[in-house]
Amino acid sequence: MRTAVYSMRLGRYCLVLGLALVFLVPGLGWGEVLKVTQPNQSLYPDPDFSSTPVAPVPQGAEVNVERQAGDWYKVEYQGKSGWINRQAFPAPRAGSKMSLPGLLFGAPVKQTSSDEVALAGKGFTPEVESGYRAKHPEMNFAQVDRIESFKVDPASLQTFIKEGDLKP
Amino acid sequence: MRSLTGWSWLAWLAAAPFLVGGCATTMAVAPVAAIAYKGASKAAEASRPINDSEEYYVGRAVAARILGKYKLDQNGKLTAYVNEVGNTVARKSSRPNPFRGYHFAVLDTEEINAFACPGGIILITRGLVKTCKNEDQLAAVLAHEVGHVANKDGINSISKARWSEVFTAMGAEAARQYGGVAGNLVTLFEGSIDDVFKTIVVNGYSRQAEMAADAAALTTLNRAGYDPNAMVGLLTVMEAKGKGASGGIFKTHPPTSERLAKVKGEVGETPPSKGKKTRSERFKEKVS
Repeated sequence: MRTAVYSMRLGRYCLVLGLALVFLVPGLGWGEVLKVTQPNQSLYPDPDFSSTPVAPVPQGAEVNVERQAGDWYKVEYQGKSGWINRQAFPAPRAGSKMSLPGLLFGAPVKQTSSDEVALAGKGFTPEVESGYRAKHPEMNFAQVDRIESFKVDPASLQTFIKEGDLKP
Repeated sequence: MRSLTGWSWLAWLAAAPFLVGGCATTMAVAPVAAIAYKGASKAAEASRPINDSEEYYVGRAVAARILGKYKLDQNGKLTAYVNEVGNTVARKSSRPNPFRGYHFAVLDTEEINAFACPGGIILITRGLVKTCKNEDQLAAVLAHEVGHVANKDGINSISKARWSEVFTAMGAEAARQYGGVAGNLVTLFEGSIDDVFKTIVVNGYSRQAEMAADAAALTTLNRAGYDPNAMVGLLTVMEAKGKGASGGIFKTHPPTSERLAKVKGEVGETPPSKGKKTRSERFKEKVS
């Protein structure tokens, strides 16, 4: 009987401690700031690429994460709220701060310090491309880089669309 | 006693994230365990499709290989115009935002052809641009190519056996700290580029994939405000040009007459497209 009472007390302590950690420990809740590391990212009204973007989010911008749904994060950026795909962010590195969203919804597996293992885990990466380029110097990657520099300014595109009496 | 059990479950539930978190923290400082965990994880996801980032790198290499054969057209005005038309249709496609966006370029050749590299690089020959009679026809060509990217036809031409090998390499190497992973993956990457290149440049997509890209193009043209009948006009011109021809686009695509008949049936009755005259004028100015 005495053992049962002790167990009950221990259970209560664990509950209080667990709930306190969930709600009080800083850095574990929502409101995490993530930096956009990829170019050509946009804020969408819905977690769907086919919705019309609310605003562009430049590389290097910091967004406040409100919540996550699958591959999409609900974020706030420059006073605008919307969704941004996880492809905008890098995978967390080893030893990176643990986050509640990650624990609850499955953030990417933490990377180890081994470049080889990181490489293996990601499949076809810039490192693999480098290996391929070294093996095939005849391939014209310089021209590919040039093609990727061809960009249409969103404002110019809107003008082009309007002048052509096309659908915005 | 019943009450005690209830409290214990609640306590464990509350503490669970932190117990899991504790495991994760331990992983970060214990590389061997982390590697083994990662290896198991990769093995578990062995059936996942190639992701957008991986598709992008495959597409870059395929484009680089094509550009080993063709030079880029140096007419900046034309390239900018093709990018404007291309992006106008791409944003209305079923895949408006691939990993690094769409990029369009003109190849310096009179051949009539176009290539949709996985991930969003689309190459069109100057010969095909000139075959188009107006902007709406150019939009039809580009919408068809965007359709291939959206439908992932290029990346899906990587053989399943090879992709399984990629996973095997990823899983096996992730379970070891050091090894020849880069070399192994580079070889598999090389094979994947071969698969895609052979499909889009040498053999062509399946008849079904071409028809699906035509159907996607019609939808995209409608959504963008272009005249879907432009696809009929374009295929009619190409049918005439293709008589007696057996190379390039005529080799890698189903017979134009077959595509034309199907597209005519799908277009049906459409209202006149506004602004066609303005668009045709700017086409003449940019393409001449």
